[in-house]
Amino acid sequence: MKTRIKEYRAKYKLTQEKLAEMVGVRRETIIFLEQGKYNPSLKLAHNVAKVLKTTMDEIFILDD
Amino acid sequence: MKTKRAFLAVSITTLIVAIILISLRAYYVVVALIVGALLIGHREFWSLIRKRKMPPIDERVRENTSKSIRNGFIFFAIATAFLMLPFSVRIIETPSTVHVLGGLFLSAGAVYLFSYLFYDRVESRLDERGLKMLKTFLLVTGISLGAFIISVFLHNAISGLFDIEEPVFFFIAVFISPLAFAVGLIGSLVIFIKGLLSKAL
Repeated sequence: MKTRIKEYRAKYKLTQEKLAEMVGVRRETIIFLEQGKYNPSLKLAHNVAKVLKTTMDEIFILDD
Repeated sequence: MKTKRAFLAVSITTLIVAIILISLRAYYVVVALIVGALLIGHREFWSLIRKRKMPPIDERVRENTSKSIRNGFIFFAIATAFLMLPFSVRIIETPSTVHVLGGLFLSAGAVYLFSYLFYDRVESRLDERGLKMLKTFLLVTGISLGAFIISVFLHNAISGLFDIEEPVFFFIAVFISPLAFAVGLIGSLVIFIKGLLSKAL
């Protein structure tokens, strides 16, 4: 799975720590999400997309 | 741990148990208890010191907690077996050897604690090739340690049973296993430290 969290984070000038705080997770979780090393739950994916003012489809790109 | 109160309760209980154990002179158990408490609560400790608040318990942490408990149990089982080895097999009975084994046990605990504390950071900073190499080196270290213990046992068993000087397992235990252990240990340490010091990918 690829994600565009880093790109959107840069757009809104958010640090990993700030985004983690806004979503209610640890910074390490954001790092793993950005690298596609962790599959988030639907709730977490929804929260990340909401904070980054976009849709889940835009943020999380599933490999075929 | 869910709340600050629960964390404080566990910390105070650990301290009280540790004091009781010190009065009973069960020092190894105290060390094991404190290492265990640190393993469970290191993030909470760190966050309380740095930000004066508890870190969030997110879904990834919840998933990892079960893994930590499993790893802790495996470590405890191996360490116990390792400590009991000189007493149960009765290979060596001199007190100095027991102290050396105790020292090795504590060092292994320290290495385990260190790697546990920083593994998240290292994993997020290593590419796939680096992670594969780290796993391979760790496997080599673990297998060589297992091979050493098994070889010592088999060498002694064969020598004792057939009254001969068994050469193959002796060679594995004295030369091959320590060499493989050193290669695995140095390799994994180099990659681990490289990951620790490099910038996030």
